[in-house]
Amino acid sequence: MLSRYRVLDLTTERGLLCGQILADLGADVIKIEPPGGSPARQLAPFFEDRPDRDRSIYWWSYNRNKRSITLDIETDDGRALLYRLAARAQFLIESYDPGYLSDRELGYEDVATHNREIIYVSITPFGQAGPKASYADSDLVILAAGGPLLLCGDEDRAPIRVSIAQAYLHACGDAAVGALVANHERQRSGMGQQVDVSAQQSVTPATQANNLAFRLDADEARRMAGGVRVGSMRVPLVWRAKDGYVTLLFLFGRQLGVFTKRLMTYLYEQEACDAATRDKDWIEYGSLLAGGQEPMQEYTRIVAIIADFVSTRTKADLFADALERGLLIAPIATVSDVLSSPQLKARHYWQALEHPELARTFSYPGPFAKFSEVPIVYHRRPPLVGEHNREIYCEELGLSESEIQDLTRRGII
Amino acid sequence: MLPLEDIKILDFMWALAGPGTTRALADYGATVVRIESTTRIDGSRTVGPFYKNKAAHDGSGLFGTYNAGKLGLGLDLNKPEAREVVLDLVRWADVVCESFSPKAMRSWKLDYESLRALKPDIIMLSSCLMGQTGPMSGFVGFGNMAAAVSGFYNLCGWPDRSPSGPFGAYTDYLAPRFGAVSILAALDYRKRTGKGQYIDQSQAESALHFLTPALLDCAVNGRVLQALGNDDLNCAPHGVYAAAGEDRWIAIACLNDEQWRRLCVVMKRTDLATNESFSTASSRLRNRMQLDDIIQVWSRGIEAEKAEKLLQSAGVPASVVQDSKEVCEDKQLASRGYLVEIDHNIQGKTVVEASRFKLSRTPARIPRQAPSVGRDNQYVLQNILHYDEARITELVASEVLQ
Repeated sequence: MLSRYRVLDLTTERGLLCGQILADLGADVIKIEPPGGSPARQLAPFFEDRPDRDRSIYWWSYNRNKRSITLDIETDDGRALLYRLAARAQFLIESYDPGYLSDRELGYEDVATHNREIIYVSITPFGQAGPKASYADSDLVILAAGGPLLLCGDEDRAPIRVSIAQAYLHACGDAAVGALVANHERQRSGMGQQVDVSAQQSVTPATQANNLAFRLDADEARRMAGGVRVGSMRVPLVWRAKDGYVTLLFLFGRQLGVFTKRLMTYLYEQEACDAATRDKDWIEYGSLLAGGQEPMQEYTRIVAIIADFVSTRTKADLFADALERGLLIAPIATVSDVLSSPQLKARHYWQALEHPELARTFSYPGPFAKFSEVPIVYHRRPPLVGEHNREIYCEELGLSESEIQDLTRRGII
Repeated sequence: MLPLEDIKILDFMWALAGPGTTRALADYGATVVRIESTTRIDGSRTVGPFYKNKAAHDGSGLFGTYNAGKLGLGLDLNKPEAREVVLDLVRWADVVCESFSPKAMRSWKLDYESLRALKPDIIMLSSCLMGQTGPMSGFVGFGNMAAAVSGFYNLCGWPDRSPSGPFGAYTDYLAPRFGAVSILAALDYRKRTGKGQYIDQSQAESALHFLTPALLDCAVNGRVLQALGNDDLNCAPHGVYAAAGEDRWIAIACLNDEQWRRLCVVMKRTDLATNESFSTASSRLRNRMQLDDIIQVWSRGIEAEKAEKLLQSAGVPASVVQDSKEVCEDKQLASRGYLVEIDHNIQGKTVVEASRFKLSRTPARIPRQAPSVGRDNQYVLQNILHYDEARITELVASEVLQ
């Protein structure tokens, strides 16, 4: 869909997903790496656990469908080449610390003098300006500063993150949306602009608006092992089944109470609870608890009934019943469960990409959406370092063979 | 003129993943007409945080932030009179979005084939937990459950305990980014070719892109990653450490040797910087539990804010693990206008989250609070559909606008 656009991807390990989203949508994304390769190629895990710049699974994860060239942007000649590339591109994505590229005359204003239509997307830890703009960062630090971290984990231990870094992926998603909003506008105005993305701000949705609690004078959610605490309510979300864990929502109110009604009918039919328990007012139950008309011990008793019942059933049995009856129960899947999911198989989710230099074909997570007119196609495996130097510098920019050799000898490409 | 001022969206979305998608477009000027019925209100209205803890009408900060800027049309889709109104809106719209379970739109004869017959170049986004097809397509539920079946729950926890899971409906925070780029790409394609299309978004399939390294590692190496607490595959120390006070924490990560040496200086433990057990990334990874103990001894004696200041001045990645008050008062977020104060029918003023990305020349704005059901009936029927008064009166009388 975006095949008429060219994107220069100067991102470090922070910003790789943004360009990949645009590449999946058909844009011609050129990954520009320093000679020797992007530092993201040093990140684990590695194929067969052998660290190598062309074996990083982290790199493979976020560079599919891109081409790669090398360029030393720290040199005058490198910068001149980047200007030439930028003159023919519609987007530039970068994720250096604020000011890093401006100091090298490659900031938005500098690039815009060579191409006023360019959309220049900057992904940084905290944004382009402000008191924390130059803070040292990491995934964990961003999650701490943005709010989600405090809400995750067990109450008797430190807050925890998801074990695969998430913060910059949130930022990359926002960056891709921002790039395409600016693109829509450019078609009218003929003008580019800068899109400023802050990872700290991009992780805020992961608090589910709990960040607003203070300003709304509302109770803040608190972390709890396998659940959440809000006010005096302890809401369990993770339940132990016979062979692993499931998530199950035992919640109330006009919408969620309907599901709890179904759940309790199910438990009654399975002889796990009596009729009086089944027939409680699940729509109003939350208010009854809050108002004291229903004692908290009763809630605790029913939670124990559900826990006992769940512990006697397998994940698969519970999930089959949930699908049949419309219950809010789902198995907690391991990574290998996800790989063997019948749903993903039926939808032909996994996409094979051949890595000819390794004589292997690997199965990649598939398109993020299915488009009826122009489906997402995985047509390039993640590139080797500078794999497309000749293609782009010679065939497209028109550099001669001797110029290429000279640039290579001087370490610029 | 706002970037998306020419874009018209008919929005049947509810809960979070759907409304998050259209909120991003409304911020930049798209006209979003949100369909909702009092017979089946959006469940996110019943989820907190609630203003002053009152689960009252229009009191949910969650609903308020996900739906700010949209127009609200009350419409009971189960009443026959609703159909003509919907079809007129389809004729008006560039994009139709819905996030029901797969059978709903078919049952109302509002599926893509029906809409396309009416308007050949319509773009339609259907977003649901598992996608429109497959044996689990009928799986109803929320983002918590999609996060469980997609592996996020199992990857958030302590190795010696049951999984904790990320907070809330996690895939609902990820899916809107993919939904919004899909719509914008389809609009771009339509502008060039005149062709609309149908977009089938499985929220789980979108969200899995946030776990690609673990999925590929399993596919490639056969390794099944398990939750690591706060450990990292590439570096140590990397953790969340107790600071002075109750439930106060400081997150610290040393991504390289230099940051580790600086941390030693801040902790006044320069003896460690020369200790061979900690001199390289791999030795620190091997001895990370010992490192965590050492840091904890230091961190317990210092306030989290002070630790952040000391560590950041030394160039060590660190942050207080901020709570709602600290985030609301965070000077960095404030400098980006993270929270926006807008007028509210009950609260007088309320706050919602702003657009997370900033466009330098054409910034976002929030023209109005999230709609109560049917708030904008008159405006939509009169100014968008150009119905005359007689028609509007007739619709009101038929009780379909609620």
